[in-house]
Amino acid sequence: MSIETEAGNDVNGVDAKPLDADIVCVGFGPASAGFLTTLTKLLQAPSTDQPVESRAVPGMPPQILCYERADDIAFGVSGVVTRARAIKSTFPYLNTAEIPLSARVGSERLLYLLDPHGASRRPLWMRLADKVIKGLAREDYSYEAPYIPPFLHKQDGFIFSLGQFMQWSGQQVMFSGTAQVWPGTPVSDPLFENGKVAGVVLAADGTEIRAELTVVGDGPVGPVGRRLDEVYGMPLGHKRDEWAVGMKMVVDLPASCTLEEGTVFHTIGYPEPEIFGFFYVHPDRVASVGIFVPSWLDSPVRTGYRYLQHFITHPAIWRHLKGGRMRSWGAKSLLESGRRGEPRLCGDGYARIGEGSGSTNVLTGSGVDEAWLTGRLLAEGVHELWREGLPFTKANLEARYVRRRRTSWLEKESIIAERARNGFQRGILRGFLGMALAGFTSGALGYNRRRDKPARPLEEFYRGRLSAEQVRDIRAACEKDAQPLHDALMEAAGWPAIEFDGQLLVSHQDALLMGGKVQAAPDLPDHVVFRDPDLCAACTNRLCIEICSGEAIHAGENGAPVFDRDKCVHCGACIWNCTQEVAPGVSNVAFCAAPGGLHSAEN
Amino acid sequence: MDQRLMQGKHMEKILVLLHTEADGSLGRAARECLSLAASLGKYDLAISGADASAAANSAEGSAERILCIAADEFAVPRSSTDSAAAEMLIRTSGATLVLAPGTSRWSRALPMAAARLGGVIDTHAVGLEVVGDSIQVKRWFYRQRIEGTVARSGSPWIVVIEPGAFTATEATPRQATIETQSLELAVSPRTTVEGTISTAAGEQTIRPDAALLFVAGAGWTKKQKDGQVHFADAADRIQTFVHKSKCSLGSSKSLVDLSSEGEAVLPFLTHLHQVGQTGSTPRHRKGLATCCHGEEPHVVGWRFINERRAVNLDPNCGWARGKADVLYVADAFEVMKELNALLD
Amino acid sequence: MPYQIIVCGGIAPDPLQTLEPAMGPAGPALKNEMMLPAVFDPWAAHALYEAAHLARQFPGSSIRVVTLAPKAKLQQVMMTVAQKLPFELIPIDGPGGGFTDAVEVSKVLAQAISAIPGIDMSQFLLFGGWESATRGSGCVIPMVAARLGIEDCFLAVDELKIEDGALVIKERVEGGLLQVSRCSAPPAALAWATGSLPEPPNHPQTGMANMRAMMPALQRAKPAGLTGEGFSVPQATLPAQQRQTQVVKDKPAAEISRELLEWIKG
Repeated sequence: MSIETEAGNDVNGVDAKPLDADIVCVGFGPASAGFLTTLTKLLQAPSTDQPVESRAVPGMPPQILCYERADDIAFGVSGVVTRARAIKSTFPYLNTAEIPLSARVGSERLLYLLDPHGASRRPLWMRLADKVIKGLAREDYSYEAPYIPPFLHKQDGFIFSLGQFMQWSGQQVMFSGTAQVWPGTPVSDPLFENGKVAGVVLAADGTEIRAELTVVGDGPVGPVGRRLDEVYGMPLGHKRDEWAVGMKMVVDLPASCTLEEGTVFHTIGYPEPEIFGFFYVHPDRVASVGIFVPSWLDSPVRTGYRYLQHFITHPAIWRHLKGGRMRSWGAKSLLESGRRGEPRLCGDGYARIGEGSGSTNVLTGSGVDEAWLTGRLLAEGVHELWREGLPFTKANLEARYVRRRRTSWLEKESIIAERARNGFQRGILRGFLGMALAGFTSGALGYNRRRDKPARPLEEFYRGRLSAEQVRDIRAACEKDAQPLHDALMEAAGWPAIEFDGQLLVSHQDALLMGGKVQAAPDLPDHVVFRDPDLCAACTNRLCIEICSGEAIHAGENGAPVFDRDKCVHCGACIWNCTQEVAPGVSNVAFCAAPGGLHSAEN
Repeated sequence: MDQRLMQGKHMEKILVLLHTEADGSLGRAARECLSLAASLGKYDLAISGADASAAANSAEGSAERILCIAADEFAVPRSSTDSAAAEMLIRTSGATLVLAPGTSRWSRALPMAAARLGGVIDTHAVGLEVVGDSIQVKRWFYRQRIEGTVARSGSPWIVVIEPGAFTATEATPRQATIETQSLELAVSPRTTVEGTISTAAGEQTIRPDAALLFVAGAGWTKKQKDGQVHFADAADRIQTFVHKSKCSLGSSKSLVDLSSEGEAVLPFLTHLHQVGQTGSTPRHRKGLATCCHGEEPHVVGWRFINERRAVNLDPNCGWARGKADVLYVADAFEVMKELNALLD
Repeated sequence: MPYQIIVCGGIAPDPLQTLEPAMGPAGPALKNEMMLPAVFDPWAAHALYEAAHLARQFPGSSIRVVTLAPKAKLQQVMMTVAQKLPFELIPIDGPGGGFTDAVEVSKVLAQAISAIPGIDMSQFLLFGGWESATRGSGCVIPMVAARLGIEDCFLAVDELKIEDGALVIKERVEGGLLQVSRCSAPPAALAWATGSLPEPPNHPQTGMANMRAMMPALQRAKPAGLTGEGFSVPQATLPAQQRQTQVVKDKPAAEISRELLEWIKG
C-alpha cells in the first residue's frame, strides 16, 4: 500500500489548504459528546431512507470533526454527581462498570459545616445561629440537615469522573467511524464570511476548517464562544457576570474510611459561608472532594487552593480523608449566570451548546447532564435538517434546535433557577433564602438582580479584623517576595497554617505536578497576555494573582502580574477576575486558545 | 545464593559470555559478570573479539571450560558478527543460563542471538536469585519506577547484567590448565565500523566518571523576580560551574526540549544530557539539582545518585520530602554565582 | 531509492503520571492502567519522526507503524500521532504494558510484519525505539530484526545519513561516545534514541486523511493472542526510597555556596 494514495497526502510536504467538513465542533466536553453520540447513533440507526450524504464532500458520508484544546479527551474537570436524565435517555442501559470511577448515587447528605477556627467571615446572624447549631452538631463541627430540598437531590443518579466519562463516550464516538475527535488542537477563532459563520480557524497554524455548521461547545471561557458574543452581542438583558472556580481533588481514601461507594455529601457554611463543597465516593475507595469559590465571595484575595485545603481539613471531612493520598487535582471556571448568561443560541452556520450556552442550572448545582442534553437536542435537529435537505440557517436552527430546547425540561428548570442566586448579592442570608424561594415556588418568587458592585479594596474588606497598617505591611512584604497576598492575609486573620503531609496536604505547586500533572507545549507563545501593562501596574486589586488556580500568574516587578504558561490549568479564572477593562466589557486579560494544561484523566 | 542454583531442580548449565574491549582486555562490566558467576558456582566461559584467548587467560579462574571466537571480523562491535559469534558460542556450550554484561555491544547482539536460538532474554538485570526452585531475575520496569522480578522456563535464558549492579572482583590470573577451544565462524559483514566520535557537547555530556552530577532544571529559563528571563546569566552560571568543577552536566526533559527546538534558550544542552524519563539514570556519587522541581519522573533519574542536594526556591517542593539529603531554599542564580566565584 | 520503513512502537503512560503496580491473578499490571492517559512511546515517536524525515528525502518511500496495544487506547493516542505525518497503521490488539514478555512481543510483531504483502527487503528499514518507556528491555527491535532475517541492527541510534545508498549510522555507546558505522544497503534495523529532530507540528489535513484508513484498521485489529507462557513477573513493587531531607531556609547565598563547595570537595 502506498502512502500517497491511502493518506491522500504526500510525505514530502504538508499542505495547508483549508479543510472541508460538514460539521465542525469546537471543544469536546459533555455537550459535544452528547451531540456527537446522538448524531452518530441517528446516522447509524437502521433506516429505509437513503443514507445521509456529505454536502461538503459529495459521495462520502457526512464529515464530522471535533477539535479539543486539551491534550487528551479525558482531561476535563468536574465534580460530577448528576441525575443523568439526559445521559440515561441516550444510554438507557448504562452500565457503570464500563466507566472507571463511576457509581450509582447511594446515600446523600447535606452538611452544614461550622467554623472550628473562627476565621471565616460570618455575619452576626450566622454567628448567633452557629451557637444554636453547635448544640445540635456533631463533634466534628457538622450538622446534618434533616432533609435535602428536592431541587438539590441527586438520587437515582450517578457519580462520575468527568475525564473517564468523556474518554468512554469519546471512544464510542470514534469507534463508530462517523466522527473524529482531535485532542491537542485548539481553535482560535470562528471563521466569519458574509455575516455568517463558515467554520473555524485552528490556533496552531491558522488552518481554516470550513463547515456548513459550526457547533460551539468550548465552554464558558472558550475563545470561539467569547468571540461570537463580541461580534453578535448578547441578547437584551443577558450578561455573563456570575462565575465560580470549581477546584477538586481525587483522593485515595485511607483504610480507616468506612464510607461506602455512592456516598454523596453536599456542604455549606465553610470555609466561607459563600463556598459550597462536595464529597463523592467512587468505587475502589476513591473520592472526589472539592469546592466552588463564587464571584460573589467579594474577597479581593479570593483563592481556590487555600480554601480547598481548609475545606478538606474541616473535621467533618478530614475524619474520612486523613491518611489519604492525592491522586488527581484540577480546576475550572463555571459560568453561574444560568439562563441570564445564555447567548444567542444559533445563527447562520452556527449553534451554541453546553455550559457556554448558559445551560448550567445554578439552583440544582448541575451542569454536565444539562450540557449533554443541549448537544442531544442539537443533534436531533441537525439530523432532521439533513434528512430534509435543508441548510443550517438561523431560521432552520431556531426551528429545529432552539425550539426543542425551549420545550425541554432544561428550559423549564432554567427559568425556575433564573433568580435563584440573586440574593447572594445582598448577603448570605438572602442568598440562601433566594435559593429556597426559587426552589420551593418553582421560580415564582425570588430576588431581582442588583447592579454590579465594584470590588472592595483590601483594607475595607478586612476592616474590623486587620488594621490598615497590618494590611499595608503584609502587602509590602508579599510584594517584596513576589508572593500572592492570600496566604499571609488569611493567616493574619486567624486561619491556621496548613501543615503539609506530602500526601494530601501539599504545596500548590506539588498539586500541579502530583495531581494535575500540568504540562505546556514548549514551543508556543504565552496564551495569557496582559493587554495593557500600564493598567496592571496601576491596579491595586490584583485578583488575577490571588485566584489563579495554578499560581501561573504571579507577582513580578512592582507586583504587576507575570504569566508562566507551564503552570496554567486553563481554568480561565483570570478572565473574569480581572478588574481592569481596556474597553467596556473587555478585560485586560487576553486568554487565547492553546493546548496543554492538566494531564490528569481522573478529574 | 551460592551453590543453591546447582542443587535446585533447574541444574542450570551456566555460561558467562563476554567480549573483549578495543584493546583486547576485559572491561569492568565483564569482570562484574564474572564475579557474579563465581558466586553461583561452576560455569563455562565464552569470549568473542580480538585477543579473546589472551583475555580468557586474564579472566577469573573458576571457569570449567573456555570457548573463544577471535578472528579479525569479531574485533569490532557490530550486530551481524557479534550476534553470530554469540549464537555459536551459546549453541556450542549447551548452556541453559547465559550471563553477559550489558555493554552496548552485547545489548545490540544478544537479543538477536536469543531469537535465532529460540531462547529467551532479559536485560538490565540488577539481581539474580533463587526463589523456591526457580531462578528470578530482578530488573526495573517503567523507566526505573517499578522494580520487579522475572521468572522464565525457556532455554537458553540469556540474562544481560546491568553494569554497576554487581561488584567486580580483581581478576586473578588463571591457574588451571584448561584448554581454550577456538571456534571458527565464517561471516561476511555488510557493515563497517568507522570508529567513535565524541558528541558535539564534549565535556558537558553526562560523563559517568565524574564525581558530581549537576542537573539544571527548567527553572533556569523561567522569568525571575523581575519578570524577565535571564538566559545569558543562566548559561554562564551553568557552563562556568561545569568547567570549573569538572562535573557532569545533566538536565531535565523540559529544559532539554526547550533547548533543542531552535529556541535561543540554553543551546548547549542536548538530549544526551537528559536525566530520567527517556534520558539516563546516571550513577554518580553526588548530585546537585538546581531549579528543578521535584516531580516524580525527574527524581527517577536520580535513583542511583548516592548523595543528593538541591537548590530551589520552593520550600515545599518534592525534593523537600525525602528525596534530597539537603534542600537549600534559595535562588540558584545567586548561589551558583557565589559558588563559581569560590571555585576560582 | 525509496525506502519501505516499518516503525514498531507501542504506547506508554503519559510521562508525568504516577505509576503503581497492582498484582492480579495473571501477574502485575499498573493500577488503573486503562484510566491512565497514554502517549506514543517516546523513543518510538523519535523513530517515527526520523522515518518521516527520511521519507521526505526519498520520494516514493512509505511508512507503516506496527503497534501492539489495547485498541481503544491506541485509537486515542493516534488522534495525536496521526496529525504529525502520513503513515499506515497496522494495529494489533493486546496488552501494551511493561509486564509483557519482550520475546513473545517480538514474535507477534515479526509475524505481523511478515504478513504485509509487497515488502522488498532491498528497500526495507525496520525502525523502533531503543527501549520502551514501559518494559524498557531494549530487546524487541533486535529480536524482530533477527526473526525477519535482518543481520544489521543498530541500537540507541542518534543519526542516520544516506551516502551513496549506504546507511551511515551513529549509535550511542559507552563513555558518552557515538559509534559510527556504515551499512552498505538495506535491510537494516535501527532502534532510535532521541535523534535530533523535533516533534513535527500537528497538521489537521494529515490527521484526517490518516484516520480514514486507521479507523477501519483499528476496528479490524486482530487480538495479539499473547499467552505469557514460560514467563512470569512474580513480584512488582515501588522502590522505597525515603530520605530524611534537611530543609535549609534563610541562609545567604554566600554561605550556601561555601557549604556546597565543602560538600563537593569532601
